[in-house]
Amino acid sequence: MRTREILGAGVMLLLGAVTAILSAQMPIGDFRAAGPGLFPLCLGVFLILLSAGLIVQVLFSREEQEEGKTEGRMSKDARAKEEPGSLAPVVAFLAVMGLAALFLPTLGYFIVSFLIMAGLLTTLGLRRWPLILILSLVTAAGSHVLFVYVLKIPLPKGFLGI
Amino acid sequence: MLESLQHLWTGFGIALSLQNLFYCMVGAIVGTLVGVLPGLGPIAGIALLIPVTFGLNATSAIIMLSGIYYGAMYGGSTTSILLNVPGETASVITCIDGYQMAQQGKAGKALAICAIGSFIAGTIAIFGLVFLAPPLADAALAFGPPEFFSLMVFGFIVLSNVTGGSFLKALMMAVAGLIIGTIGLDPVTGEGRFAFDSPSLLGGIEFVAVAIGIFGIGEVLVNAGKPAQLLAQQVVVPRLAELYPSLSDLKESISAILRGAGIGFGVGLVPGPAPVIATYASYMVERKVSSHPEEFGKGAIKGVAGPESANNSACQSAFIPLFALGIPFAPPTAILLGALLIHGVTPGPMMVSEHPGLFWGVIASMYIGNFILLLLNLPFVPIFANILRIPKTILLPLVMLFCLTGMYSVNNSMFDVWMMLLFGALGFLMRQWAYEGAPLLLGLVLGPKLEVAFRQSLMISQGDFEVFISRPISLAFLLATLLFLIVPLLRRALRRSKNRPAIG
Repeated sequence: MRTREILGAGVMLLLGAVTAILSAQMPIGDFRAAGPGLFPLCLGVFLILLSAGLIVQVLFSREEQEEGKTEGRMSKDARAKEEPGSLAPVVAFLAVMGLAALFLPTLGYFIVSFLIMAGLLTTLGLRRWPLILILSLVTAAGSHVLFVYVLKIPLPKGFLGI
Repeated sequence: MLESLQHLWTGFGIALSLQNLFYCMVGAIVGTLVGVLPGLGPIAGIALLIPVTFGLNATSAIIMLSGIYYGAMYGGSTTSILLNVPGETASVITCIDGYQMAQQGKAGKALAICAIGSFIAGTIAIFGLVFLAPPLADAALAFGPPEFFSLMVFGFIVLSNVTGGSFLKALMMAVAGLIIGTIGLDPVTGEGRFAFDSPSLLGGIEFVAVAIGIFGIGEVLVNAGKPAQLLAQQVVVPRLAELYPSLSDLKESISAILRGAGIGFGVGLVPGPAPVIATYASYMVERKVSSHPEEFGKGAIKGVAGPESANNSACQSAFIPLFALGIPFAPPTAILLGALLIHGVTPGPMMVSEHPGLFWGVIASMYIGNFILLLLNLPFVPIFANILRIPKTILLPLVMLFCLTGMYSVNNSMFDVWMMLLFGALGFLMRQWAYEGAPLLLGLVLGPKLEVAFRQSLMISQGDFEVFISRPISLAFLLATLLFLIVPLLRRALRRSKNRPAIG
């Protein structure tokens, strides 16, 4: 738990540092006539301070944890509910969506929406191929009609023109 | 006061046009759906429907989008009562007594009292909106950049304080949001920042991408990781005949409904996830004033009526700071601010006089929307409850597809789609690491406003920071901010000294 907290704070610290360094390279000006870099520089420094504060808090938090036992009970229960099942479906979801975004301009919306449905349904453990095919086809056709014909949203057509 | 009523009358004329009536109904239905479906909340719901409004005039667009927000408050209770799964965060507390009531075979009664309470409280709160927003907007005409800056700082600190998790983390998220908001053109000098010569980055990060990413994709990813049987529960759909509460139920709950309306209205005016806080506050109050506090948690009807009324009232009064000050205090209103800006309307003190048709039309539509929702949620609850029978395996991919389509259609931009996916992954990580998304989104939306107010203030004062404390309104906001910073620290110190056993 503690490593995760420090890792999170570390990422935020890094974001603050990168912001500060990059904005320091822009014209800063002064408070009377601020340049474009001043506001982000302040934000970057502020984020560094906050993240450092969080790291210090986590490192010295043992005493607080003991004291806050009763108070922490409810949040612990809540956390248990939030506990992730496994990371594999999450990564698979993102991979499917990433590929979909990559090929959307070339394949067009119809094919990509079909592939998204088929890919995600498979990821979630559906194994009956006829069902996957039918569900994906119906969704692709349905969303095509809804978005392209009813709502008239211009979506990428791809090489097939649909 | 009379003038407000006259304007409201005109507003009804606008809201009752066939087109606006239609979009009000669409908003109410989509809102109820968004509320019913766990994993898709009002924030992602509103963001996803923004592109659909591009062909509409601003009034119809905002009528529909705000309908989604308050509609979700109605729908959220359905899953809480029938499944013990809150449809959105403002219905978490309804699970406690609502689900108990359902277990005792009183699901219909609970659902009915939710709908009626929501309607009464919502209507009362809109009255407040009618009478409070215009004078507040007038008062805010006196606000200069320093006042707006201090008000926004106040908003961030309060929001970070009340979001539930760690204050430091919430504040870090707000600052991260502000940093993301600086990407693109400098709002004062027009120079590019953090753009790395990319034209897409120069346009800034689209807030819709962040909203759909964190609150849509992120939520789906969290659900995708959960074991399948968690959501594959049996839904007991109440019969139509059960959906009408008896007179004694109404009598029993009316005081809770009215108290909920009052609490919600007050909470909606201050920064924070108002509907959520309002439900907690109302539940605590109801338990305290009840002559049978032991019934709470075992199916007390007041424990359902109070909070469900409070969240509706809070959601309506949250429109007051948005419309009168132009400053949203929570993500759903922040998204609505974005939508207003897309339609060329800048909310704030001038909005009532510059866009009276929109302002009064939207308010009048809220009355109509609440009425539609009452109708929708009483006889049609069985239909909405049946939606819960759609297995998660089909629901999650569908939501993903809608997110992709919705996002692309905002600007026809693949860059936005990539940003949405990136923030989706980040949203998932944030959930795992217990970082709140709300302050980040608010930071992103308010960032440019905050920066402009900050720089203009210092320009006025020739770089002297005293400008923030020498002006009384600005000073008042800063003092209030200080109070919000100090009180939790004091409370913690007090608790520590109490817990520590006396030595010697």
